[in-house]
Amino acid sequence: MLLDVKGLSKHFGGLQAVNQVDMSINSGQIVGLIGPNGAGKTTIFNLLTGFIKPTSGKVFFNDNEITAKSPHIIAARGIGRTFQLTPLFTEFTTLQNVVASYYLHPKSGFLDIFFNTPRYLRNETYAMEQSIEILKLVGLSKVKDELARNLPHGYQKMLGIARALAVKPKLLLLDEPLGGLNTDEITFTLDILVKLRKQGITVLIIEHNMQILGYCDHVVAINFGQKICDGSAEEVRKNPEVIKAYLGEQHAA
Amino acid sequence: MLKNPFVTGRNKTVYIYVGLVIVLLLFPLVVSSTFYIHILILSFIYVIAAGSLRLISTSGQISMGHAGFMGIGAYVSIYLSKFLGVSPWISMAIAALITLIIALIVGIPFARLRGIYFTMITLFFGLGALSIEQLFSDYTGGYSGIAGIPALFSTDSKIPYYYFFLILVTVCLIIMFRLEHSRIGQTWKAVAQSYSVASSIGINELQQRVLVFAIGCAFAGLAGAGLAHYSLVLSQSNFNLLASMYLIVYVLVGGIASFAGPIIGTAILVMIPEMSRSLKDYVPLLFAAIMLIVLFTMPKGLAGLPAQVKGWFHRKNKGNTPKEVINNAS
Repeated sequence: MLLDVKGLSKHFGGLQAVNQVDMSINSGQIVGLIGPNGAGKTTIFNLLTGFIKPTSGKVFFNDNEITAKSPHIIAARGIGRTFQLTPLFTEFTTLQNVVASYYLHPKSGFLDIFFNTPRYLRNETYAMEQSIEILKLVGLSKVKDELARNLPHGYQKMLGIARALAVKPKLLLLDEPLGGLNTDEITFTLDILVKLRKQGITVLIIEHNMQILGYCDHVVAINFGQKICDGSAEEVRKNPEVIKAYLGEQHAA
Repeated sequence: MLKNPFVTGRNKTVYIYVGLVIVLLLFPLVVSSTFYIHILILSFIYVIAAGSLRLISTSGQISMGHAGFMGIGAYVSIYLSKFLGVSPWISMAIAALITLIIALIVGIPFARLRGIYFTMITLFFGLGALSIEQLFSDYTGGYSGIAGIPALFSTDSKIPYYYFFLILVTVCLIIMFRLEHSRIGQTWKAVAQSYSVASSIGINELQQRVLVFAIGCAFAGLAGAGLAHYSLVLSQSNFNLLASMYLIVYVLVGGIASFAGPIIGTAILVMIPEMSRSLKDYVPLLFAAIMLIVLFTMPKGLAGLPAQVKGWFHRKNKGNTPKEVINNAS
C-alpha cells in the first residue's frame, strides 16, 4: 500500500472541512477523488501534502508516517502535487520552472553550487536533460523559453504537472488538471495520465469532469467532508449517495 | 547544446564590470581631489550594504532594518578594536561573523512572517538595535557619537582606504553575483514567486529565507564595520531608520530587479548629501522627488534604462502575448 489515510479530520473552527476520512491507495493505480464543490477535496490534498495540519487522523506513505510533516519533507519523501489555480513561478520561463523544480534529485550542496564544481555542473546538465524530456512528454518543449505567466491557461496546467514530475514522485496529486481545458487538451492530458501510470507513477486526481472516471482504477467520493463511497468507477457511478450529491434527492432512486 | 538557465555562462555585462573596476583603479592617478576620493569610498561601502539589501529582496523579503545590522557590525568592530585592542582588520571580519550569527538567530522567527509583516518586524528590529546601542553608550557613544576609532591605515591619505574598499566591494559583489546567478539564487527567486509551489518541490522555504537574510545582513555588518574604521568618528544617526530607508531608496532608484541597480543607485545618491552641507536637511525631500521621477519614468530603475531605450526601437523584446506564444508553438 502506497498511501494509507486513517481517520483524517480537519476542523476550521466549527466547520468540519474533512471528517474521519479513510482512504488507501495501491501502487500503480490512478485514483480519483470526486465530490461536489466545497466537499473538502482540496483540503484533503493540503492535509496529505502538509500545507495544513490535520486536527486528527494519520497519514502513512510507504508505511512511514507523514502526518503533519512540512511540505518540503513530504515532497522529498516522493509526493508531487499541482495546485488548482496553477500557481507557477510566473517570472521564470517554462524551462526554468521545470529546472528549478529539480531541487531534490539531484541535490547539490551549497559550496558545490557556489564554486561551480564539476559535480554541480553534472547535476545541472542532468536536471536540464530531464526537464527537456518532461517538457516533451507534456508537449511544452516548443514554448520552453516563454515566461510562464504568458502561457495560455491549458499550457500553464501542463506546466504545473511537468513541475510536479520533476520531484520524481512515487505519488502524484493532481488538483483538477482538466479544469478549464478544451476537448483536445483534455484528451491530451488523459493520455499523459496513462503514460505516467506506465512509468509506475501512482496518481491521485481531484476532478469534476466525469470523463476521468473511465481512467480511474479506484474512486473515492466525498461530500461535506465525509467519504460517501469508495470503489471501482462503476460502483461509484451507480452509488445512490453519489448521485444524490451530484444531482439531488429525486434522482437517487 | 542548450544553455542551462541556472549556470552562469559568459555574460557580456561582465566586461562592463571589469572595465568599471579598471577605471576605478586608475581614478586616483588622474583625479587627486580628496573630495571625490571620499565620495567614492563612501559609495563603495554603501554599495556593499545596498547590494546585500537587494540580495535579501530576491527572496521576496524587504528589510527595513538593514542599517541596524550595519550598526551592529560597526559597534562590534569598534568595541573589539578600541576597547579590547584587537586589530581593526580582524575585528571587521569578526563583526561580519557576529552580524551573521545575530541575523540567523533573529531571522528564524522573522522569516515566519511574510511580506509587510516581515518588513515591519525588521523595521522594529532596526529601532530596537538603536535603543540597545544607546544603553551601552559608554562603548557606542550613542547619538553624541564616538571618536578615536582605530584606523585601518596609519596615514592621513585616503588613497589606501580607496584601494582597500575598492577591493572589498569587488570581492563582495562577486560573491553576491555568484550566489544570485546559480541555483542558490534561483531558489531564492523561486521562493519569492510562490512559497507554496517552492515547498511543493521540496524547497525548505523558511530555511532559505533565513539563509539569504543572514548572508545579506553579514554583508551589512561588514559595511558598517568598514564605515567605522574609515570615518573614525561615528554616531548612531548613521544607523537609524532614515539610514535604512536611504538604502532602500538606493536600491529602488537603481533598480531592484537588476544586479547593477544598487551599484548605480548608490553611486548617484550617496554624493547628494555630501555635495553641500546646506543641502543636508533637504535630503529626504530630494530623495523622495528623485524616487518619484525615476519610478514614474523608469519603472525598472536606472539600471533598466538601456533595456527601456532598446525597447523604444524594438517593440518585441521579452515576453510574448499568449496569442504570440500559441502562434510560435504551432
